[in-house]
Amino acid sequence: MAVKFFGQFLVEQNIVTSEELLNAVHLQEKNNLKFGEMAVSMGLVTPAEIGRAHNAQMSIDNKLGDLLIEMGFLTIVQLNDIITRQKNTHLYIGEALVQEGALTNDELQKHLDAFKADQAQYVTDGIELPISTSDNKVWEMTADLTYKMITRVLGLQFRPGKCAVSTVIAPNFMMAAMDLSGDVEARYMISVSKGLQSSIAKAILGEESVAAEPTEVLEDTVMEFVNIVCGNVAAKASQMGIIININPPVTIHPPLSGMQVPEGETALCFPIHIGDGDIMELYLLIK
Amino acid sequence: MEKKKVLVVDDSLSVARQLEKIISESGDLTCVGHAKNGAEAIKMNHTENPEIICMDMNMPGMDGLTALRTLSVMDKEVKVVMVTSLGGVGDKFTEALKLGAKNVISKPFEADNVLRILREL
Repeated sequence: MAVKFFGQFLVEQNIVTSEELLNAVHLQEKNNLKFGEMAVSMGLVTPAEIGRAHNAQMSIDNKLGDLLIEMGFLTIVQLNDIITRQKNTHLYIGEALVQEGALTNDELQKHLDAFKADQAQYVTDGIELPISTSDNKVWEMTADLTYKMITRVLGLQFRPGKCAVSTVIAPNFMMAAMDLSGDVEARYMISVSKGLQSSIAKAILGEESVAAEPTEVLEDTVMEFVNIVCGNVAAKASQMGIIININPPVTIHPPLSGMQVPEGETALCFPIHIGDGDIMELYLLIK
Repeated sequence: MEKKKVLVVDDSLSVARQLEKIISESGDLTCVGHAKNGAEAIKMNHTENPEIICMDMNMPGMDGLTALRTLSVMDKEVKVVMVTSLGGVGDKFTEALKLGAKNVISKPFEADNVLRILREL
Protein backbone atom coordinates (compact mmCIF):
# COMPACT_ATOMS: atom_id res chain seq x y z
CA MET A 1 0.00 0.00 0.00
CA ALA A 2 2.89 2.37 -0.71
CA VAL A 3 5.24 3.47 -3.45
CA LYS A 4 7.90 0.79 -3.65
CA PHE A 5 10.77 -0.34 -5.79
CA PHE A 6 10.77 -3.86 -7.19
CA GLY A 7 13.40 -5.31 -4.84
CA GLN A 8 11.52 -4.12 -1.77
CA PHE A 9 8.29 -5.64 -3.10
CA LEU A 10 10.03 -9.01 -3.51
CA VAL A 11 11.51 -8.99 0.03
CA GLU A 12 8.27 -7.78 1.61
CA GLN A 13 6.34 -10.57 -0.12
CA ASN A 14 8.99 -13.10 1.03
CA ILE A 15 9.69 -14.03 -2.62
CA VAL A 16 13.44 -13.43 -2.18
CA THR A 17 15.42 -13.11 1.06
CA SER A 18 17.14 -9.90 2.12
CA GLU A 19 20.48 -11.71 1.56
CA GLU A 20 19.54 -12.61 -2.03
CA LEU A 21 18.49 -9.02 -2.70
CA LEU A 22 21.72 -7.64 -1.24
CA ASN A 23 23.75 -10.03 -3.44
CA ALA A 24 21.82 -8.78 -6.48
CA VAL A 25 22.35 -5.13 -5.45
CA HIS A 26 26.06 -5.88 -5.08
CA LEU A 27 26.10 -7.34 -8.60
CA GLN A 28 24.32 -4.21 -9.88
CA GLU A 29 26.87 -1.97 -8.15
CA LYS A 30 29.71 -3.87 -9.83
CA ASN A 31 28.03 -3.88 -13.24
CA ASN A 32 26.31 -0.49 -13.48
CA LEU A 33 29.20 1.92 -13.85
CA LYS A 34 28.74 5.55 -12.90
CA PHE A 35 29.31 8.15 -15.62
CA GLY A 36 32.95 8.83 -14.70
CA GLU A 37 33.76 5.13 -14.30
CA MET A 38 32.21 4.35 -17.69
CA ALA A 39 34.09 7.23 -19.36
CA VAL A 40 37.39 5.88 -17.97
CA SER A 41 36.57 2.25 -18.86
CA MET A 42 35.88 3.35 -22.47
CA GLY A 43 39.28 5.05 -22.53
CA LEU A 44 37.77 8.48 -23.26
CA VAL A 45 39.13 10.29 -20.20
CA THR A 46 41.78 9.55 -17.56
CA PRO A 47 41.12 9.17 -13.81
CA ALA A 48 43.16 12.36 -13.32
CA GLU A 49 40.81 14.32 -15.62
CA ILE A 50 37.81 12.96 -13.71
CA GLY A 51 39.51 14.10 -10.49
CA ARG A 52 39.98 17.63 -11.90
CA ALA A 53 36.31 17.77 -12.96
CA HIS A 54 35.21 16.57 -9.49
CA ASN A 55 37.31 19.33 -7.92
CA ALA A 56 35.68 21.88 -10.23
CA GLN A 57 32.25 20.61 -9.14
CA MET A 58 32.97 21.93 -5.64
CA SER A 59 32.62 25.49 -6.95
CA ILE A 60 30.53 25.01 -10.11
CA ASP A 61 27.04 23.49 -9.91
CA ASN A 62 27.16 21.42 -13.07
CA LYS A 63 26.90 17.78 -14.10
CA LEU A 64 30.14 15.82 -14.47
CA GLY A 65 29.61 15.20 -18.20
CA ASP A 66 28.91 18.87 -18.94
CA LEU A 67 31.99 19.92 -16.97
CA LEU A 68 34.19 17.42 -18.81
CA ILE A 69 33.01 19.02 -22.09
CA GLU A 70 33.58 22.55 -20.77
CA MET A 71 37.08 21.57 -19.66
CA GLY A 72 37.84 20.13 -23.10
CA PHE A 73 38.23 16.51 -21.94
CA LEU A 74 35.17 15.17 -23.82
CA THR A 75 33.17 16.00 -26.95
CA ILE A 76 29.35 15.97 -27.06
CA VAL A 77 29.46 12.90 -29.31
CA GLN A 78 31.61 11.07 -26.72
CA LEU A 79 29.25 12.13 -23.92
CA ASN A 80 26.31 10.64 -25.82
CA ASP A 81 28.31 7.45 -26.46
CA ILE A 82 28.93 7.08 -22.72
CA ILE A 83 25.27 7.60 -21.85
CA THR A 84 24.21 5.10 -24.52
CA ARG A 85 26.70 2.52 -23.21
CA GLN A 86 25.39 3.07 -19.66
CA LYS A 87 21.82 2.46 -20.84
CA ASN A 88 22.69 -0.57 -22.94
CA THR A 89 24.67 -2.31 -20.20
CA HIS A 90 22.38 -1.37 -17.28
CA LEU A 91 21.51 -4.40 -15.18
CA TYR A 92 18.07 -4.16 -13.58
CA ILE A 93 17.45 -5.64 -10.15
CA GLY A 94 15.22 -8.40 -11.56
CA GLU A 95 17.90 -9.43 -14.07
CA ALA A 96 20.50 -9.40 -11.28
CA LEU A 97 18.30 -11.70 -9.16
CA VAL A 98 18.00 -14.11 -12.12
CA GLN A 99 21.78 -14.04 -12.63
CA GLU A 100 22.23 -14.76 -8.91
CA GLY A 101 19.83 -17.73 -9.17
CA ALA A 102 17.23 -16.25 -6.80
CA LEU A 103 14.54 -16.19 -9.52
CA THR A 104 13.92 -17.87 -12.86
CA ASN A 105 13.00 -15.75 -15.91
CA ASP A 106 9.40 -17.00 -15.72
CA GLU A 107 9.16 -16.13 -12.02
CA LEU A 108 10.65 -12.70 -12.73
CA GLN A 109 7.98 -11.94 -15.34
CA LYS A 110 5.18 -13.17 -13.07
CA HIS A 111 6.35 -11.06 -10.11
CA LEU A 112 7.01 -8.02 -12.33
CA ASP A 113 3.40 -8.18 -13.52
CA ALA A 114 2.16 -8.40 -9.90
CA PHE A 115 4.42 -5.49 -8.93
CA LYS A 116 3.17 -3.31 -11.78
CA ALA A 117 -0.44 -4.05 -10.81
CA ASP A 118 0.36 -3.12 -7.17
CA GLN A 119 2.00 0.15 -8.17
CA ALA A 120 -0.54 1.11 -10.87
CA GLN A 121 -2.53 2.94 -8.19
CA TYR A 122 0.37 5.40 -7.82
CA VAL A 123 0.70 6.36 -11.49
CA THR A 124 0.50 10.15 -11.55
CA ASP A 125 -2.56 11.74 -13.12
CA GLY A 126 -2.32 15.08 -14.90
CA ILE A 127 -2.51 18.19 -12.70
CA GLU A 128 -2.35 21.75 -14.03
CA LEU A 129 -0.01 24.14 -12.28
CA PRO A 130 -0.21 27.94 -12.64
CA ILE A 131 3.59 28.24 -12.81
CA SER A 132 6.19 26.90 -15.16
CA THR A 133 9.41 25.58 -13.62
CA SER A 134 11.82 22.76 -14.36
CA ASP A 135 10.45 20.97 -11.26
CA ASN A 136 6.77 21.09 -12.29
CA LYS A 137 6.66 17.30 -12.64
CA VAL A 138 7.73 16.92 -8.99
CA TRP A 139 5.04 19.30 -7.70
CA GLU A 140 2.36 17.71 -9.87
CA MET A 141 3.34 14.30 -8.53
CA THR A 142 3.35 15.64 -4.94
CA ALA A 143 -0.20 16.98 -5.25
CA ASP A 144 -1.36 13.83 -6.99
CA LEU A 145 0.09 11.53 -4.32
CA THR A 146 -1.56 13.70 -1.65
CA TYR A 147 -4.92 13.13 -3.34
CA LYS A 148 -4.28 9.39 -3.61
CA MET A 149 -3.32 9.13 0.08
CA ILE A 150 -6.43 11.08 1.14
CA THR A 151 -8.43 8.30 -0.48
CA ARG A 152 -6.29 5.33 0.57
CA VAL A 153 -5.12 6.32 4.05
CA LEU A 154 -7.88 8.62 5.24
CA GLY A 155 -10.77 7.06 3.31
CA LEU A 156 -12.23 10.52 2.60
CA GLN A 157 -14.26 11.52 -0.47
CA PHE A 158 -13.00 14.77 -1.96
CA ARG A 159 -12.88 17.04 -5.00
CA PRO A 160 -9.60 18.81 -5.85
CA GLY A 161 -9.91 22.57 -6.46
CA LYS A 162 -7.89 24.60 -8.96
CA CYS A 163 -4.30 25.21 -7.93
CA ALA A 164 -3.33 28.88 -7.55
CA VAL A 165 -0.30 30.92 -6.55
CA SER A 166 -0.90 32.43 -3.12
CA THR A 167 0.79 35.30 -1.26
CA VAL A 168 -0.80 34.43 2.09
CA ILE A 169 -1.22 31.12 3.88
CA ALA A 170 -4.87 31.27 4.96
CA PRO A 171 -5.67 30.75 8.67
CA ASN A 172 -7.05 27.41 9.78
CA PHE A 173 -7.31 25.28 12.94
CA MET A 174 -3.87 23.73 12.50
CA MET A 175 -1.21 22.86 9.95
CA ALA A 176 1.39 20.13 9.73
CA ALA A 177 4.52 20.81 7.70
CA MET A 178 7.59 18.99 6.47
CA ASP A 179 10.69 20.44 4.85
CA LEU A 180 11.91 18.79 1.65
CA SER A 181 15.54 19.15 0.61
CA GLY A 182 17.94 17.67 -1.93
CA ASP A 183 17.37 18.29 -5.65
CA VAL A 184 14.36 20.46 -4.73
CA GLU A 185 13.87 22.78 -1.74
CA ALA A 186 10.36 23.30 -0.45
CA ARG A 187 8.05 23.12 2.55
CA TYR A 188 5.05 20.78 2.29
CA MET A 189 2.10 21.96 4.39
CA ILE A 190 -1.36 20.56 5.05
CA SER A 191 -3.93 22.88 6.62
CA VAL A 192 -7.00 21.37 8.33
CA SER A 193 -10.09 22.40 10.29
CA LYS A 194 -10.85 20.93 13.72
CA GLY A 195 -13.34 18.52 12.16
CA LEU A 196 -10.84 17.33 9.59
CA GLN A 197 -8.18 16.85 12.25
CA SER A 198 -10.65 14.54 13.97
CA SER A 199 -11.36 12.62 10.74
CA ILE A 200 -7.62 12.17 10.13
CA ALA A 201 -7.07 10.97 13.71
CA LYS A 202 -9.89 8.41 13.40
CA ALA A 203 -8.39 7.04 10.19
CA ILE A 204 -4.78 6.94 11.38
CA LEU A 205 -5.56 5.46 14.82
CA GLY A 206 -8.26 3.14 13.48
CA GLU A 207 -10.70 4.34 16.17
CA GLU A 208 -14.39 5.19 15.84
CA SER A 209 -14.13 8.05 18.34
CA VAL A 210 -11.18 10.28 19.19
CA ALA A 211 -13.08 12.67 21.49
CA ALA A 212 -11.03 11.56 24.52
CA GLU A 213 -7.65 11.75 22.77
CA PRO A 214 -5.22 14.44 23.98
CA THR A 215 -4.35 17.30 21.60
CA GLU A 216 -0.81 15.93 21.30
CA VAL A 217 -2.08 12.68 19.78
CA LEU A 218 -4.60 14.41 17.48
CA GLU A 219 -1.90 16.73 16.10
CA ASP A 220 0.50 13.81 15.77
CA THR A 221 -1.90 12.01 13.44
CA VAL A 222 -1.90 14.99 11.01
CA MET A 223 1.91 15.05 11.14
CA GLU A 224 1.93 11.31 10.46
CA PHE A 225 -0.28 11.80 7.41
CA VAL A 226 2.19 14.42 6.14
CA ASN A 227 5.06 12.01 6.88
CA ILE A 228 3.39 9.21 4.90
CA VAL A 229 2.71 11.45 1.90
CA CYS A 230 6.20 13.01 1.85
CA GLY A 231 7.96 9.65 2.28
CA ASN A 232 6.06 8.31 -0.70
CA VAL A 233 6.79 11.51 -2.64
CA ALA A 234 10.51 10.91 -1.95
CA ALA A 235 10.13 7.30 -3.18
CA LYS A 236 8.31 8.35 -6.35
CA ALA A 237 10.89 11.10 -6.94
CA SER A 238 13.73 8.59 -6.61
CA GLN A 239 12.08 6.56 -9.39
CA MET A 240 12.23 9.78 -11.48
CA GLY A 241 15.95 10.15 -10.69
CA ILE A 242 15.35 13.04 -8.27
CA ILE A 243 16.69 13.02 -4.72
CA ILE A 244 14.34 14.34 -2.03
CA ASN A 245 15.26 14.17 1.65
CA ILE A 246 12.57 14.59 4.27
CA ASN A 247 12.85 16.03 7.75
CA PRO A 248 10.72 15.28 10.83
CA PRO A 249 7.27 16.93 10.57
CA VAL A 250 6.20 19.91 12.71
CA THR A 251 2.86 21.46 13.66
CA ILE A 252 1.97 25.10 13.03
CA HIS A 253 -0.92 27.11 14.50
CA PRO A 254 -1.38 29.94 12.01
CA PRO A 255 -2.51 33.35 13.34
CA LEU A 256 -6.06 34.52 12.46
CA SER A 257 -4.59 36.92 9.91
CA GLY A 258 -2.84 34.07 8.12
CA MET A 259 0.87 33.93 7.32
CA GLN A 260 2.71 35.90 4.65
CA VAL A 261 4.64 33.82 2.15
CA PRO A 262 8.34 34.62 2.69
CA GLU A 263 9.92 36.84 0.04
CA GLY A 264 11.59 34.89 -2.74
CA GLU A 265 9.38 31.83 -2.20
CA THR A 266 6.45 30.73 -4.35
CA ALA A 267 3.41 29.29 -2.60
CA LEU A 268 1.19 26.93 -4.56
CA CYS A 269 -2.19 26.39 -2.92
CA PHE A 270 -4.24 23.30 -3.73
CA PRO A 271 -7.74 23.53 -2.18
CA ILE A 272 -9.20 20.10 -1.42
CA HIS A 273 -12.99 20.03 -0.94
CA ILE A 274 -13.90 17.18 1.39
CA GLY A 275 -17.28 15.44 1.08
CA ASP A 276 -19.03 17.09 4.04
CA GLY A 277 -18.24 20.67 2.95
CA ASP A 278 -14.93 21.00 4.80
CA ILE A 279 -11.79 22.32 3.08
CA MET A 280 -8.30 20.98 3.47
CA GLU A 281 -5.51 22.93 1.82
CA LEU A 282 -2.19 21.70 0.55
CA TYR A 283 0.49 24.39 0.28
CA LEU A 284 3.84 23.93 -1.40
CA LEU A 285 6.27 26.69 -0.45
CA ILE A 286 8.89 26.43 -3.14
CA LYS A 287 12.26 28.09 -2.53
CA MET B 1 3.51 -20.92 23.76
CA GLU B 2 5.50 -17.92 24.95
CA LYS B 3 4.76 -14.73 23.04
CA LYS B 4 7.58 -13.06 21.09
CA LYS B 5 8.61 -9.76 22.66
CA VAL B 6 8.54 -6.72 20.37
CA LEU B 7 9.91 -3.22 21.09
CA VAL B 8 8.34 -0.35 19.11
CA VAL B 9 10.57 2.63 18.29
CA ASP B 10 8.90 5.70 16.76
CA ASP B 11 8.78 9.39 17.61
CA SER B 12 5.20 9.48 16.36
CA LEU B 13 2.68 8.68 19.10
CA SER B 14 0.08 7.69 16.56
CA VAL B 15 2.32 5.20 14.73
CA ALA B 16 3.43 3.71 18.05
CA ARG B 17 -0.24 3.34 19.01
CA GLN B 18 -1.05 1.63 15.69
CA LEU B 19 1.85 -0.82 16.00
CA GLU B 20 1.19 -1.57 19.68
CA LYS B 21 -2.45 -2.34 18.82
CA ILE B 22 -1.50 -4.67 15.94
CA ILE B 23 1.05 -6.48 18.11
CA SER B 24 -1.13 -6.81 21.22
CA GLU B 25 -4.09 -8.13 19.18
CA SER B 26 -1.92 -10.68 17.33
CA GLY B 27 -2.11 -13.38 20.01
CA ASP B 28 1.47 -14.55 19.50
CA LEU B 29 3.39 -11.28 19.92
CA THR B 30 3.61 -8.89 22.86
CA CYS B 31 4.76 -5.26 22.96
CA VAL B 32 7.35 -4.71 25.71
CA GLY B 33 7.58 -0.95 25.33
CA HIS B 34 7.83 2.15 23.17
CA ALA B 35 11.05 4.11 22.61
CA LYS B 36 10.85 7.56 21.03
CA ASN B 37 14.28 7.65 19.35
CA GLY B 38 17.32 5.54 18.58
CA ALA B 39 19.13 6.23 21.85
CA GLU B 40 16.10 5.15 23.89
CA ALA B 41 15.81 2.05 21.72
CA ILE B 42 19.36 1.00 22.54
CA LYS B 43 18.69 1.46 26.28
CA MET B 44 15.38 -0.39 26.15
CA ASN B 45 16.90 -3.22 24.12
CA HIS B 46 19.18 -3.76 27.11
CA THR B 47 16.47 -3.51 29.79
CA GLU B 48 13.53 -5.20 27.98
CA ASN B 49 15.50 -7.76 25.95
CA PRO B 50 13.06 -7.91 22.99
CA GLU B 51 13.36 -10.52 20.24
CA ILE B 52 12.15 -8.07 17.59
CA ILE B 53 12.50 -4.29 17.23
CA CYS B 54 10.12 -2.35 14.93
CA MET B 55 11.91 0.93 14.35
CA ASP B 56 11.19 4.14 12.44
CA MET B 57 13.96 5.42 10.18
CA ASN B 58 13.41 9.17 10.39
CA MET B 59 13.42 10.40 14.02
CA PRO B 60 14.76 13.52 15.74
CA GLY B 61 17.82 12.86 17.90
CA MET B 62 19.39 9.51 17.07
CA ASP B 63 17.71 8.28 13.89
CA GLY B 64 16.78 4.69 13.09
CA LEU B 65 19.70 3.84 10.80
CA THR B 66 22.25 5.06 13.36
CA ALA B 67 20.56 2.99 16.08
CA LEU B 68 20.42 -0.01 13.73
CA ARG B 69 24.18 0.29 13.12
CA THR B 70 24.83 0.24 16.87
CA LEU B 71 22.34 -2.53 17.62
CA SER B 72 23.75 -4.82 14.93
CA VAL B 73 27.16 -4.61 16.62
CA MET B 74 25.93 -4.77 20.24
CA ASP B 75 23.27 -7.46 19.93
CA LYS B 76 23.52 -10.19 17.29
CA GLU B 77 20.29 -11.86 18.46
CA VAL B 78 17.71 -9.09 18.16
CA LYS B 79 15.92 -8.87 14.80
CA VAL B 80 15.28 -5.35 13.57
CA VAL B 81 12.55 -4.42 11.10
CA MET B 82 12.46 -0.82 9.91
CA VAL B 83 9.03 0.82 9.60
CA THR B 84 9.21 3.93 7.45
CA SER B 85 7.52 6.12 4.90
CA LEU B 86 10.88 6.12 3.07
CA GLY B 87 10.78 2.36 2.37
CA GLY B 88 10.24 2.98 -1.33
CA VAL B 89 13.44 4.99 -1.70
CA GLY B 90 15.67 2.25 -3.11
CA ASP B 91 18.97 3.24 -1.55
CA LYS B 92 17.38 3.77 1.90
CA PHE B 93 15.90 0.27 1.69
CA THR B 94 19.16 -1.42 0.70
CA GLU B 95 21.12 0.66 3.23
CA ALA B 96 18.86 -0.65 5.99
CA LEU B 97 19.36 -4.26 4.83
CA LYS B 98 23.12 -3.74 4.58
CA LEU B 99 23.16 -2.47 8.17
CA GLY B 100 21.41 -5.65 9.31
CA ALA B 101 17.67 -4.95 9.16
CA LYS B 102 15.67 -8.10 8.40
CA ASN B 103 13.03 -6.26 6.42
CA VAL B 104 11.56 -2.83 5.78
CA ILE B 105 7.84 -2.11 6.13
CA SER B 106 6.59 0.87 4.13
CA LYS B 107 4.01 3.31 5.42
CA PRO B 108 1.10 3.30 5.03
CA PHE B 109 1.04 -0.30 6.27
CA GLU B 110 -1.70 -2.84 6.77
CA ALA B 111 -1.95 -4.96 9.93
CA ASP B 112 -1.87 -8.25 7.99
CA ASN B 113 1.33 -7.29 6.22
CA VAL B 114 3.04 -6.17 9.44
CA LEU B 115 2.11 -9.42 11.22
CA ARG B 116 3.18 -11.61 8.29
CA ILE B 117 6.60 -9.95 8.20
CA LEU B 118 7.09 -10.14 11.99
CA ARG B 119 6.02 -13.80 12.09
CA GLU B 120 8.38 -14.73 9.25
CA LEU B 121 11.42 -13.58 11.26
